[in-house]
Amino acid sequence: MIEILLLLLFITAFIALQLKDMLASVLMLGVFSLLSCLVFFLLHAPDVALTEAAVGTGIGTVVLIWVVHKTGRRDTT
Amino acid sequence: MKKTDILELVSRKLAPFMFLFGLYLLTYGHLSPGGGFQGGVVIASGIILLSVSRGIETAEALFPSFSLSILETFCFILLLAAGLAGVFLGVGFLGNPLPRAAAAGVPRVGMILLLNILVGLKVAAGVSLICLRFFREDE
Repeated sequence: MIEILLLLLFITAFIALQLKDMLASVLMLGVFSLLSCLVFFLLHAPDVALTEAAVGTGIGTVVLIWVVHKTGRRDTT
Repeated sequence: MKKTDILELVSRKLAPFMFLFGLYLLTYGHLSPGGGFQGGVVIASGIILLSVSRGIETAEALFPSFSLSILETFCFILLLAAGLAGVFLGVGFLGNPLPRAAAAGVPRVGMILLLNILVGLKVAAGVSLICLRFFREDE
């Protein structure tokens, strides 16, 4: 189970790096955070999982979406 | 930002439950997963959800920046005082100077409940203050 989740983590991180749409990239980072929260929970660390769910998925995503809203959505490089 | 009805309705209904869950995490941190930092961040994300759904002015009216900043500073001073009380009573920094009551069925909490609540209020005030200030810069 954990191996499958780690593979999914790798895939979501790679997609988040490769996407040219910044909003989709930030949302993929939120999915990454949620999956790593599940990994922490399966490794018997519910405190860390709660922190990851609250900070990574909640506040981090909101702040990054606001940054995307202020700077621009397309990656021009 | 453009908002849809679904976002506004769901986040308006969800914010009080997030406050409640954050307070639960604060007060039961010594028994179950959770604690000061996690509960504070959940409360702060409730405030952020409120400011996203109802507008930044409503959130500012409910939680003014000045009182949030006062709350954060006051909680920090109280936390230091609670830690130093252990030093003065001879049980070390952040020690438990309270007598351990042996009431049946009541778990012996000591100072941990107080410290969790103080840390949680401080984290909630700090994180929501950062995010409210950050969002208001856009106006």
